[in-house]
Amino acid sequence: MKNDKSSVEKTTDGVDYYRRKFLQRLGLTTVVAVGAGKARLAWGGRTLEDAFADFFQQHYRRMTPEEMQETLRRIERKARQQYGVEITCEDTPPLEGVVFGYAINITKCRGYRDCVEACVQENNLAPDIRYIQVLELDKGSLDLESADRYYDRDSVPAEGKYYLPVQCMQCDNPPCVKACPVEATWKEPDGIIVVDYDWCIGCRYCMTACPYSARFFNWQRPQIPVDRINPDTNYLGNRPRPVGVVEKCHFCTQRTRRGRQPACQEACPTGARVFGNLLDPDSEIRYVLEHKTVFRLKEDLGTEPKFWYYRDA
Amino acid sequence: MVFLRYLWDSFKQLFHGSALYWVWVIFLLLIIVMGGWKYLEQLDQGLIVTNMSNQVSWGLYISNFTFLVGVAAAAVMLVIPAYLFDRKDIRDVVLLGDTMAIAAVTMAILFVLVDIGRPDRLWHMIPFIGNFHFPQSMLAWDVIVLTGYLLLNFGISFYILFNHYQGRPAKRKLYFPFVLLAIAWAISIHTVTAFLFSSNTGRPFWHNALMAPRFIASAFCSGPALAIIILQVVRKFANYPIRQSAIDTLSLTMTVSLQITLFFIGAELFTDFYFEGAHSASARYLFFGLHGAAVLTPWIWTALVMLLVAVTICMIHNLRRNTVYLNIACVLTFTGVWIEKGMGMIIPGYVPTPLGEVFEYLPNFTEVTISLGIWAIGILMFTLLAKMAIPVEAGRLRHPDAGDELRETYLEEDAAESPENSEGEEYEAR
Amino acid sequence: MLRWLSIVFVLAVVQSGGAAEPALDGGAADLPYESLPEELPFKIAPREGRLWHYPCLKCHADMKPNPQERKLVARHLDELDHGRDRIWCLDCHDAENRNVLRTVSGEQIDFDQAWIICGACHAKQQRDWYYGAHGKRVGNWQGERIIYNCTHCHDPHEPAIEARAPLPPPPVRAGLERQHHTVTGTHRIWERVGDMTPEGSREER
Repeated sequence: MKNDKSSVEKTTDGVDYYRRKFLQRLGLTTVVAVGAGKARLAWGGRTLEDAFADFFQQHYRRMTPEEMQETLRRIERKARQQYGVEITCEDTPPLEGVVFGYAINITKCRGYRDCVEACVQENNLAPDIRYIQVLELDKGSLDLESADRYYDRDSVPAEGKYYLPVQCMQCDNPPCVKACPVEATWKEPDGIIVVDYDWCIGCRYCMTACPYSARFFNWQRPQIPVDRINPDTNYLGNRPRPVGVVEKCHFCTQRTRRGRQPACQEACPTGARVFGNLLDPDSEIRYVLEHKTVFRLKEDLGTEPKFWYYRDA
Repeated sequence: MVFLRYLWDSFKQLFHGSALYWVWVIFLLLIIVMGGWKYLEQLDQGLIVTNMSNQVSWGLYISNFTFLVGVAAAAVMLVIPAYLFDRKDIRDVVLLGDTMAIAAVTMAILFVLVDIGRPDRLWHMIPFIGNFHFPQSMLAWDVIVLTGYLLLNFGISFYILFNHYQGRPAKRKLYFPFVLLAIAWAISIHTVTAFLFSSNTGRPFWHNALMAPRFIASAFCSGPALAIIILQVVRKFANYPIRQSAIDTLSLTMTVSLQITLFFIGAELFTDFYFEGAHSASARYLFFGLHGAAVLTPWIWTALVMLLVAVTICMIHNLRRNTVYLNIACVLTFTGVWIEKGMGMIIPGYVPTPLGEVFEYLPNFTEVTISLGIWAIGILMFTLLAKMAIPVEAGRLRHPDAGDELRETYLEEDAAESPENSEGEEYEAR
Repeated sequence: MLRWLSIVFVLAVVQSGGAAEPALDGGAADLPYESLPEELPFKIAPREGRLWHYPCLKCHADMKPNPQERKLVARHLDELDHGRDRIWCLDCHDAENRNVLRTVSGEQIDFDQAWIICGACHAKQQRDWYYGAHGKRVGNWQGERIIYNCTHCHDPHEPAIEARAPLPPPPVRAGLERQHHTVTGTHRIWERVGDMTPEGSREER
């Protein structure tokens, strides 16, 4: 080894030299890391920071309010990056003293499917998902096996048929909640069964457990037409969902937790849908349940659906 | 350290093989690469590359998972006679049974992994860090029992092999409690898997008490069937003697299990078809077709015929003891149970949907390729693990400082059994 | 000349009355109908902004009422498809003042209170509507309850709601095809079993 001046200088500097070098490298790494974190790399066009925060995001019920706010803003940024749309995402808490119930008057339902379409628009559904299925049944029987959900007619109601819209029943004893291995779906205090789309692992066991075929899976990234994205969204509701997670009707939490009617109720032209607070004895839903002839689907399974059907008489 | 030497010596075994071995390994690797390629596609685009739908949301992957958990559980059919009934002939092969179980459980776990929509979120299942919904969710139970079974089998086999490598017998006091645990655990993995399905009140095809017994019974058909074939392969290609009595015992297990399985299927048919209501719709779809939809009917009837032929062969003593006929019966059993418990159990649970819709499902090329890739991983895993374990069990691979304690133990045991040994025909197939 | 001026004058007075803000209440401000509670538990979405020909006195102030029940050939109503000839126009419309309606007992009520008339025959529906099992609540499910009047959905001259085409059927998962499986068999047992006339027809017995 040559004992030249430069190496002598280095050795006499000793610890100082190496400490300086280390700090320089540390500083450079930090700058690069921060820069990389903020810069948009190939993480699906998102920042590294956002991608990491996404990965480590906690369960809805365990997030602090600050974490929630950060998450909401991140969701808004993701929508801007993925769809080129400005959305707002809020976390609307449940209202006190409210448990929601829903009833459909099957004498009035004429099978228009206006509710189905309104839901698609309001909740940013992918083109191949429908939270509401309208079943066309023969009068005189409730045999679901002979129901037709794909009816395509010139006019409804058709002769000898009646119509049964089916959507998530928001069961009070939900089999899907029990089935989920990560508690990504649960019953909120206002009775709505919600899904944390950022916690769901996509195992689809809840879909297997549901007796009403009311849950749907995002087999691909939802191809929501950009021009019809509803920008007023909710964390547990209609915000754009990612690929590989389960979703379902959530009684329009973004609307109902602010006192508004769900989109399907608003869209129904015959007034067949009655929505309200089961805990309010003066509500319309309570009147229906206490005075009309009502039934629930598959009541014998013990799921305690909060979705009833009734008739005029 | 002895441990590191053991790992290194075992690892070296993987590279001492005949040309056939290398052809086999490369063939499996090719299938794995193809499966991996398709899986990357699935990761990129989502599960839309499969044929699953909102109506039939579980398909080929979970079918294979269900079948393989059964195969894994059947290792217990070797463990019980080996350790509880002190059958020395089966003790020679029990580690191969454990290896089969390890490979099968690994495949089962891989099948669940490829079926998950968001594998990047699997950490959500870790207790405390994530949110593990135990004990309410049957899937949570399944995660625990499968992981535990893998660890148990791995642990016990490794412990015994490591001791044998050092030329000494494994301490029975140490491993026997774990063996007992493994026996109970084996039953539990398949019971939990059955409960995964039978807990669904909205699916009458599964919602019955017979699911768990059926699963165990058919597991004890498919497991021994595979074991019998594997043992003959090992005997022929791995230079490791397998006593015929071991295979005889396995074939008897398979016979009785086939009888029970067919009885259970008969009970199911009666209950579904004596008085058909809406709850029989899925059974009607499977066996006869429903409203014109009938893709699975040829499969299930073929499976039933296979199982009937297999049980007939097995019940005739001379046929069961004939190598050719026994192997035919094993192949028929394995395939028949795969159809009946795999696609034939999972898919009809979704047809018709709880709302009465008939929407059929058959796997597509992507699903088949990925599934074959996983099977190849399991088979390769077994090949490599067996390649490492057999030389130890055959006494060919020992640590340089290994003693004679184990060999002497074996000699003592053989002497004790010598009246049987003098017949001299047990090392040959008849 | 004076005649035309008086008509114009009357029309002007009436127009100014009709141009007032339509009341968003049950018509409670000028409620002549006394057996209803003072305070209704809801508000009714007003009709008056939506009535085509209102105010009717525009023309009818100058026309002599003819109480004879007959078939009309009026410009804005030649068919009354309500009640199968059991009722006619002046059963609901006040003969003297066409800007209001009349109840069964002859009291004058607002167009916004048309529900009182409808309920005279359709009491069950009215009760259901009053409490929310019929008709539609608009806006919110809590707080102020605003509901539609009967005539919002049911044209009183042709109340039956007409059939219309439904929106298109739902799709299946992207990348998969619709499957067509026909359901055979029927629960209409009488179609399956056939004629079950007992021995000897009713005429013969």
